[in-house]
Order: sequence, then structure tokens, then C-alpha cells
Amino acid sequence: MNSLGLTLAIAGAVCAALFAGIGSARAVGLVGEAAAGVVSVDPSKFSKALILQLLPGTQGLYGLLIAILLLSRVGVLGGNPADLTAMQGWMFFAASLPIAIVGYFSAIAQGRAAVAGIGITAKKPEHNGKAIIMAAMVETYAILALLISILIIYNINI
Amino acid sequence: MSRTTKYADAVAAVKAMENSLMNRSDIEQLINASGKTEFDAVMSSKRGNPKEFSTESVWEFIHGYAPESRELEILLYRNDFHNLKAALKAMVSGRNAEKYFIRPTNINLERLPEALAEKDYSVLPEHMHRTAKEAYELIVRTSDGQLADSFIDAETLRTMQKNADESGCEFMKEYARILTVCADIKTAYRCSRMKKQRIFLETAICGSPELDKESLICAVLDGTESLMKFLEESGFAEAVELLDKSAVKFEKWCDDLLMELAGTARMKSFGAEPLAAYYIASETEQQNLRIISVCRESGADRETIMERMRKLYV
Repeated sequence: MNSLGLTLAIAGAVCAALFAGIGSARAVGLVGEAAAGVVSVDPSKFSKALILQLLPGTQGLYGLLIAILLLSRVGVLGGNPADLTAMQGWMFFAASLPIAIVGYFSAIAQGRAAVAGIGITAKKPEHNGKAIIMAAMVETYAILALLISILIIYNINI
Repeated sequence: MSRTTKYADAVAAVKAMENSLMNRSDIEQLINASGKTEFDAVMSSKRGNPKEFSTESVWEFIHGYAPESRELEILLYRNDFHNLKAALKAMVSGRNAEKYFIRPTNINLERLPEALAEKDYSVLPEHMHRTAKEAYELIVRTSDGQLADSFIDAETLRTMQKNADESGCEFMKEYARILTVCADIKTAYRCSRMKKQRIFLETAICGSPELDKESLICAVLDGTESLMKFLEESGFAEAVELLDKSAVKFEKWCDDLLMELAGTARMKSFGAEPLAAYYIASETEQQNLRIISVCRESGADRETIMERMRKLYV
């Protein structure tokens, strides 16, 4: 068994879950702060603020999804790890990078957009939908990164 | 683009509070109210408890979210130094200073009169120690309340500029710059009318990058016409035009400059700027309400009141 190949693949899974998760945690926390500020003045805006707070949480889920798919593909989850070469290991590692990197930065960017959206909700709650759409636009790039990570994972020959 | 994420909660809370600021329609309703009963009804429909919207309450609100923010404290410097003036003059004249104090302030007002009498300046923020000591000596030596006032006023602006520069906050730098320029123009104009001597001008004028202190003093000493020409050449033609018309219009111009500055922070979601802007907006609102009350009591017509209304934040 080539332990380096498998180690690299597992490291890729760790990166995907770790960085996308950190990005989401930071962003959800940031939006939560802003939401708490609004709710402290007007508790009736809780549900509207909550939707905006949830938006940047998706990147963490995408990271988790990629980590699970990758571990499943290399057989770690089934208890029968594949015998990967170093090259294959590097390929799996590279496959995790789109969601790890884009996930981290897009979560932070989405968090900032959602905080600005909280401002709209605070002042003009009837325009909350627009605030959600604007923050959700950032999601596109996380989805593209997720897609690329999935495509790479399933197209590596082992 | 600023990457700060500070005060996200405070800014969001302030944005929610902005809904309760008076808008143009509210102001017009107040001006058009036919009597005190209608005026009070409009006020209570917008404001359940007026105390919640006093500048003191607004300060407590934003300071509660950002207690460590040094740049926000600059907003209270004018009140702080005013309170120092009040305490010094009350001490010299043997009166009680309490009724002359303005709140909110960064100073412990309960201890201030006693501490000044004992020349204990530790009750004041550190940036006020030297001013308090020198103002005390000045007022004791000259018994000239106006000179001491002018000295403290100029020191207020100098301290504001210095601490705003040190804070690195562009909003507060601009805030200090606007206040300094407006105060210097006003002082210079009055001094030129009253034909004040150089020694007084040197104490009363602060100076700023836009209006060099020495050049401004020379222009004042050369007479009002020379001063107006100097101001025009320095890019303050609008101020000159308004000063020619009336002091009231000039005051409004100065306040509107501050409100324009506040408007630049409205779209921000983080940082101390939106908090400072909200405080400035609440101060201006209080000022507008005072103007409406005074004008209505004195029987001023609708146009006169509207002309004096400061720009609104919302």
C-alpha cells in the first residue's frame, strides 16, 4: 500500500471540510452579530434576519459533502482503503482545493453581503427578499467550485 | 475597501433605530400643527417616550455597543470642553455649575467642580489636563471670561483634530476638519467686526490645513473686506456669501456640512462611522425640534421655520 497517496487524499478531504467550514463559521457568526443587533431593537425581525444568517452556512456543508465523497471514493468510509499512488493522492488533494479555497472566501464575502442585507431588513423589512437575493448571488461561485471538486473526484482513475 | 467587520451588531441596531428618526414628512407635520395639542400628538405618535431619543440616550446606546471606541469619544469633546468652561467660570464666580453642564460627556461631572477647585485634573480625560491647567491660570490671571472661553474653544478643536488624526478614522478626521473650519470662519468674522487685537486672535483661532492660522489672523487684522477676500480665495466663497446674508444661514450651512458627512456613512455595514453618523443625526434632530419649538413660540411663519431646518438624515 502506498501510504503517501492515501495520506494526500485524506489531507484533501480534511482541507475541504476545514477551510469551507471555517469560512462558514466566521461568516455565520458575523451575520449573527448583525442580526442580534437588529433583533435587540426590533425582535419581530428575527425570522427575516435568520434567513440571511443561514446563507453563508452552505459553504461548510459543501466542504463536508466533498470530504465525504472523497473519503468514500478512496474507500476509507467503507473500511477498504484503495491503494493509491502518490500521483493519485495529489489528484485527490487537488480536487479538494476548489471548494476549500472558494468555499472559504465566498463564505466570508457572502457573510459581508448578508450583513449589508441585515441593514436593509432593519430599515425596510419589506425589501428583505432583495437582500436575500443579493447575498445569494455569491453562492453561485461556491456551487461552481463544488461542481469542479465533484467532477475531479469522480474522474480520477483508481 | 475597508475589510473591518467591527461593530456589525451595533451598526445593524443603529440601522433599525434610524426608522424612528424624524423624516421630512414628520417635520412638516410638526411645523404645520395648528396648536400645541396637535404638535404634542404628532410628537407622541413618532416618539412614545421622548427620553429614549435624547442625545444622552443615543450616546448610551452606541457607547454600550462600542465602549472601547476612542474615535467615538471625539463626538463628545465639544460637550467635555464646554463643561470645563462652565466649571471654571462657576468656580471663579462662586456659582453652582450643575445647571450649565451639557450631557452626554466623557467627564465625571459630579466630581469636576470639586476637583478643579483643588487643581486636581485627574478627573478629566488626559487630553484635557493641559488645557484645564492653562485655562485655570488664564482666568485667574486675567479674569477675562471671554478670553478663557476662546482659548478653550480653540483647544477643543486642536484636541479634536489631533485625536482624530491619531485614530486614523477618516470620518472623524473630516468631522474635526469641518468643525474647525466653521468655527475659525465664525470667530474670524466676529473678530474682524469687533476689531479684536492680534493677541486675542492668536488665542481664539485654531487653524487647519484649509485655513492657515497666521494667514487668517493677518486677513482679520486687515479688516472684514480683506477677510472675505481671503476666505473666497481659500475656497469658502459659499460661506462668505452666507455670512454676508445672515449668521443664521451660515450656522445652517455648517450644520448641513456635518449632516452631509454623516450621509456618507449611511451605507456602511461595519465600523464606527455609521454609529458616529447616527449620533450626529440625533443631535441635528434635537436641534431641528428646538428650532421648531422656538420659532412656533415666537410666531415665526412656516417659510422662516423651513428655511432654518437642518438637513435630515433619513
